[in-house]
Amino acid sequence: MTNYHPSIEMLTDYAAGSLPLAHSLCVSTHLEHCHECQQQIRKLEMLGSHLFDQTPVEERQLSSLKDSFFDTLMKQPKVETHVKQSHIEKNTPHWDEYKIPSSLRQFITKSYDDLTWMRLSPSFKIATLYNEDGGAQIALTRVKAGAHMPTHTHTGDEITLVLEGAFSDESGVYRQGDFINRDASHKHKPIVTKDAECICLTVLDAPIEFTGWFTRLLNPIIRRYHPHSHA
Amino acid sequence: MERATQLQSDEQRIDDMFAIAEHRDQAALARLFDHYVPKVRAFCLAKQPGANLMADDIAQEVMIRIWNKAHTYKQESASLNTWVFTLARNARIDYLRKNSRHQSNIDPEYLWQNVVDENADPFKDAQQKKDQERIQQGLDKLPADQKQVLAKVYLEGKTHKEAAEELSLPLGTIKSRVRLALHKLTIYVKR
Ligand SMILES: [Zn+2]
Repeated sequence: MTNYHPSIEMLTDYAAGSLPLAHSLCVSTHLEHCHECQQQIRKLEMLGSHLFDQTPVEERQLSSLKDSFFDTLMKQPKVETHVKQSHIEKNTPHWDEYKIPSSLRQFITKSYDDLTWMRLSPSFKIATLYNEDGGAQIALTRVKAGAHMPTHTHTGDEITLVLEGAFSDESGVYRQGDFINRDASHKHKPIVTKDAECICLTVLDAPIEFTGWFTRLLNPIIRRYHPHSHA
Repeated sequence: MERATQLQSDEQRIDDMFAIAEHRDQAALARLFDHYVPKVRAFCLAKQPGANLMADDIAQEVMIRIWNKAHTYKQESASLNTWVFTLARNARIDYLRKNSRHQSNIDPEYLWQNVVDENADPFKDAQQKKDQERIQQGLDKLPADQKQVLAKVYLEGKTHKEAAEELSLPLGTIKSRVRLALHKLTIYVKR
């Protein structure tokens, strides 16, 4: 059961296909945990199909396009429908392993442990999944049970999606599948619950800045891992 | 189009899908081409007016996906129009990410695959039809300003923010128009 969902605007943009890919990645991961939002998306896609169906079409001769299409089709190698399936196949994790969401399997093929984790403090690690050219930074954060995450502010929007474990801050407790969207004005101080470590997917429009005298030392490191920042 | 004839041709197209899936029927594919290609092109031109080559490319890609994926189409999870809309949406996203100045390596193929929920539900088909009807009828009665914003988001591929900028309206106005529309279509129920 998830309690924190993407806004209806974000779900609409996702169903319409206008939401940036990095944000769509978070919505997609949330959907794997949230039946309620899946239903919402199903209806939003229905709406899309009606608008699509009603789009005025221009009168245009399409016979040459049709000929060249059937030419290409005949030349295409025998159907490769199962090629992609092979690496997104449902992997059955070992009992002590985490299940990787399908949306993230393009970045994580086997397990979270195989990623290159950068240790920022004894209890806090970060692994970059992908830095979009001129766009968002997509990373996983991993924090030990009961630990504080370093206080930080950020310049753009930040989306956090809880993959494993739970954490809390001034405004609530966030569990697996919860979707938290914060803008730059928000300064938060999250703590991981005591029973288990917490792994989150985070997407930042602009790089994170840690505050406080100690963590100030870390900022140059983070910046190095976010090569497109001009902050 | 008369409602009855429309339903009939919807059924014809479902049959065509089975003919493709089961015995690679090219005549069936040709019929679907005639029906869907003009729509997919219009959908692409709404995003980038005048980009005819892009529209042709994406339309062909959608037809190839129909040909290759016909066997994965499940009537009980989505209407054929909805299925084709999602193919067109994904193909457009993929084309744009590969051809834009800022290329992204995030593969959209992974991001819209889990949306169809696989739990078999005997009432789902009926519910599906009911939702479908409500949306279609509601859409016809929607005020022009609400419909305009929906078209911006869905057809032109604009985010709420971009739609606000283009219409020179505050973001709040755009949001409330979309919410009102979704509410009337009974898509959005406040949590
Ligand atoms: Zn949800």
